[in-house]
Parts: sequence; structure tokens; C-alpha cells
Amino acid sequence: MKAKDRTTIGIVIASTLLLALVPFILDTEKSFIVYFLFLSFCLIVMTQGWNLVAGYTGQISLGQHAFFGLGAYATAMIWHYDLLLGMTYYFNPVVMILSGLVAAIFAVAIGIPLLSKLHGDYFALGTLGFGEIIKVVFIKGGALTKGPIGIMLPSGVYSTLKPHYWTALFLALLATAVVYYMSRSRIGLALVAIREDEIAAEAKGINSLKYKVLAFAVNAFLVGVCGSLYAFYLFHVNPEGFLILKWTLYPIIMCVMGGSGTIIGPVIGVFLMNSVFSYANIYFPAIHPIMSGIIIILIMLFLPKGLARIKKRAL
Amino acid sequence: MDYITFDLLAQLLVNGILFGTSYGLAAIGLSLIFGTMRIIFLSQGTIIILMAYFCYSLFASLTIDPYVSILILFPGSLLLGAGIYNLLFRKAAAIEDKNISLLIAVGLMFLLENLMATIWSSDPVSIKTDYTAFGIQFVGLRISFTRLIGFVMAVISTIGVTLFLKKTLVGKAVRAASKDMEATTLMGITPHRVNGVAFAIGIGLSAIAGIALATTYSFDPYFGFIFSLKAMIALALGGMGSVAGALLGGIILGVIESVAAFFISSGWADAVSYGVFLLVLMFRPEGLFVRSVKKA
Repeated sequence: MKAKDRTTIGIVIASTLLLALVPFILDTEKSFIVYFLFLSFCLIVMTQGWNLVAGYTGQISLGQHAFFGLGAYATAMIWHYDLLLGMTYYFNPVVMILSGLVAAIFAVAIGIPLLSKLHGDYFALGTLGFGEIIKVVFIKGGALTKGPIGIMLPSGVYSTLKPHYWTALFLALLATAVVYYMSRSRIGLALVAIREDEIAAEAKGINSLKYKVLAFAVNAFLVGVCGSLYAFYLFHVNPEGFLILKWTLYPIIMCVMGGSGTIIGPVIGVFLMNSVFSYANIYFPAIHPIMSGIIIILIMLFLPKGLARIKKRAL
Repeated sequence: MDYITFDLLAQLLVNGILFGTSYGLAAIGLSLIFGTMRIIFLSQGTIIILMAYFCYSLFASLTIDPYVSILILFPGSLLLGAGIYNLLFRKAAAIEDKNISLLIAVGLMFLLENLMATIWSSDPVSIKTDYTAFGIQFVGLRISFTRLIGFVMAVISTIGVTLFLKKTLVGKAVRAASKDMEATTLMGITPHRVNGVAFAIGIGLSAIAGIALATTYSFDPYFGFIFSLKAMIALALGGMGSVAGALLGGIILGVIESVAAFFISSGWADAVSYGVFLLVLMFRPEGLFVRSVKKA
């Protein structure tokens, strides 16, 4: 292990510990910082998921909100219909993993036909279409999904934001670690080869469909688990809150802004853009989205490669 | 099912065709911009709504008839299109990574949507003129006058754009650039110029689509994004790079929505149109009307 790697690992462990201690210092129910960090961790999970599919594999997915919604709805339906027969559902890891798996299964099911047939923009449009279909299905799901009103969960179990905070921090670390190890392994080499030139990768014997579907499914799993966690926070899973394009667009903006195809880029992008959005939301609520629009345009015009690549070297 | 008469089906078909033309107009704009820039210009729908609001304001404050306002809005939007390109996309167009142009378009959409919500509030508005409720009876069919004018405007614009691309030198340059930008550049055509022209015409068409929309429906600032999505579906149905195909794609989408909304329910109509869209992408990615079977 090189000295530089050791410093990096040291920084990661130190900042994680520091972040993990925040709920002991600040009042989790009143402090905005705690909520801000919780939201940032959730966004890191989603941004890293998109980063794996788009940044490393070069397949632009515009259906991320569908996976987020599927994860949340899976949790809500398991809980509401008591599918695990009387277990405690609140923060049950089995429920969260199952929710991620539901999203991943959908990703495999639509990933195989879409990824084998569609390339580039067409794949992006296809995933967008998939997302919209899922949304309509849940809105029109009738008694099973409770239609546009959505499923209400018993919010009486909520006592503090602490478990949400730590789970989100853990998931953010997990997502970053997964992307890190996948990108450093043979899988990562295959993914980058597909991004650079799919035909050449195929010629070298890489089964490009297998790797693309794998990346898409891992992404869906991460996003789905995140949706499950967010369902435990809101206690009300509805199309208006979970199946909106915001959950696709925000991670994309943050990922590209920080630098897609890098490990640290998404993290920088999330903290930067989430601060900008939150700050504007508090101090200029009326013009906040206008300002956010201007900032997106300005950063893209002047820093098109993302903040992580300013130093010309990806971490 | 004896309530389904020939008249009813014909009426559904006519409604679909008339409404679909506005999707078609937006799709032509998308097609031109996609042709030279290789990006899906997601703010197209939002700019259409912006034009609808301009039309509304001209009517409400200066009592300019919506159809007369074409004379102001069309030239204005041509300039706006060229301006947007030069200000926002000129630099990004030269970069290989198309995500950047895409994100600038997303930023522009955010900006315009909320600017409109601040200026005009987010409540839906509509234009009520003396002839808004006027309709024509034609062998048992009822055709709304404003929708018919919208249809005629769309057809005239399609013919206009086709003639422009086929007959003028600049139009030929745009067509050449959408076939092969590199070769076109080698022939001495500046990419920025063709991109700018494509943008100007794309946004110019959105003025016409905006007026057609403003005279027939009520609209709000956030309707634009859905409109962009629909235009994209129309584009995929018609095939990228064909002007008449884009209009036809819009009409087909309009008919699908109108029929699905009647026979299933209006909520499912969206799912049906996205389903058709996915099927077309999978099995005929070059569009329904293109004969060559070249892989995209």
C-alpha cells in the first residue's frame, strides 16, 4: 500500500467518524445541518449509482426516479400489507434489502431488452419512457397502490432522525465503496472499455450486455435501498413525492458538476449543489429555482468537465 | 359495445390529428436541433409555453389578436433562437461530451419555468377570443375553429421548413451538417453557423406552436416539460432527421392519445403512448417512415 493511499484512507475514516459524531453534538430534531447532511448522504447514494452507469459505463439512464420509487413502494407495500408476517418493519434491514432487490430485478428485466437494442440517446429516451410508465402504473394502481394519494405508513414509530442519519451515512459510504471497488476491478476495466468503444470491447471478448446490465442493476439496487430509507423518513409514499423527475435530474446535475466517472466527483457535486439549493431555498424561496438554473448553466459553461477534474487528475 | 359509432371514431381521429400537430411542430424543432447538435433540446417545450405566455400578454394587455401576434413573435423567436445558441451553446457544441449541452438545456428549462411562474404566477391561463368557442360542423363531425387554424399553421410551417432545407443554400448546409458534421466542416461550412440556423428555426417554430397552443388550451409554466417529452416521442415515431416524419409522428401520437384516453382512461393514455414509444425504439429505432435499415 502506497503512502498516498494510506493518507486517502485516513482522510476517509476521519471524516466518516466526524460525520458520525454530528448527531451527538447537534440537536437532530431542530438542527438544519443534520437534515442537510441526511439529504446529502441520500443524494450521494443516488449520484454514485448514476455515476456507475453513466460515468463509468457511458449509458445515460433517465429512469432513476423509477428505481427510487420502486424501492420506496416496495417498502411501503411490504409494511402496509404485512408481507413478512408481523415482524417489525421500521428500519428492518431485510425490508430495505428486499426493496433494493425489487428495483434491481426491474432493472435486469428492462435492462436486458433496452441495453441490447438501444445505444446512446436512444437508451436515455427508453429509460425515460420506462420511468413514466412506472409512474402511471402506480398512479393508476387502484386499491393496491392507493392511486395518486399513495400509501400512508404508521408514523407513530418515529422518535428521532438519528437512525436515518447513520443509515444514510452508511449507505453513502457503501455506494462510494461499491463504485470504487467495481471501478478498480476487472469489471471496472470492462465498463470503461464499453464506455470508450463498445464494438472494440466486444472484439476483445467482453460480453458488453452482461456488464452493462450488471452496472444498471447495481445502480438500481443502491437507488432502491435509498428509496426505502426515504420512505422511513416521510412515512407517506406517493407518486408526487417519489416518482418525480427531480430524483433523476438532481443526481445527474450533481454528478456531472462534480465530475462523472470519478470517485470523489459525485461527493463534491452533492455537497456543493445541495448547499446551493438549500441556501437559496431558505433565503430566496421565490427565486430559488431560477438561481439554480443559472448556476447549472454557468458551471456547465465554465467547468464542463466537473470540479473533480480541475487538477487534471482523477482521485 | 354498440355505442361506438363510425362518427365517434371519426371524431376521435380528427381530435387526435388536430392536437397531434402541435406535438409535431415541437418535434420538427427538436429534429432540426438534434440533427446538427446531436442533443435532445429538453427546453423546447418550455420555450413553447413561454411563447404562449407572450401571446397571452400581447392579447391581454395590448389586445393584439393571437394570430396577428405571429408577425411579432415569429421574427422575435428566430432572433431569440440565434441568441440562445450564441450565448449558451456555442462553447458546449464544440465539446465531445454531449451531457454538457443536455444539462445546459435542463438549466435553461429550470430557469424559464420559474421565471414564468414568478411573472405570470403558476395558475393556468387561457385566451378567450370571440371565436374561441366557434366550431365547424362537417358531416356529423364538430371541428373547433382554433384547432383547425393550428393544424393549418403546422402544415404550412412544415412545408416552409422543408422548402427552406431543400431549396436554399443555408438549408442545404444544415442538411449536410446533420448527415456528417466533419465532412461538412471540411467543405468550408462553419459548424456554429449551421447550429445557429437550426436553433433559430427550431425556436421560431416554437412561436407558432405556442400560439397554436395558447389559442386552444389553458396552460401553466410547468406544462412545458411534458410537452418536450411528447415531442420527443413524436420524433422517435417519425424518425430523427425527417421534417414531414416528425409532423406525422406528432399526429400519430395525438391519435394514439385520443383513442387511448377514450377507450381506457385519460390517465392510462400516457402509459400507452410511452409503451408505443418503447416498442418503436426497440424494433424500429430509425422511425416508422424511414425506409433504410441503418442501425443508429
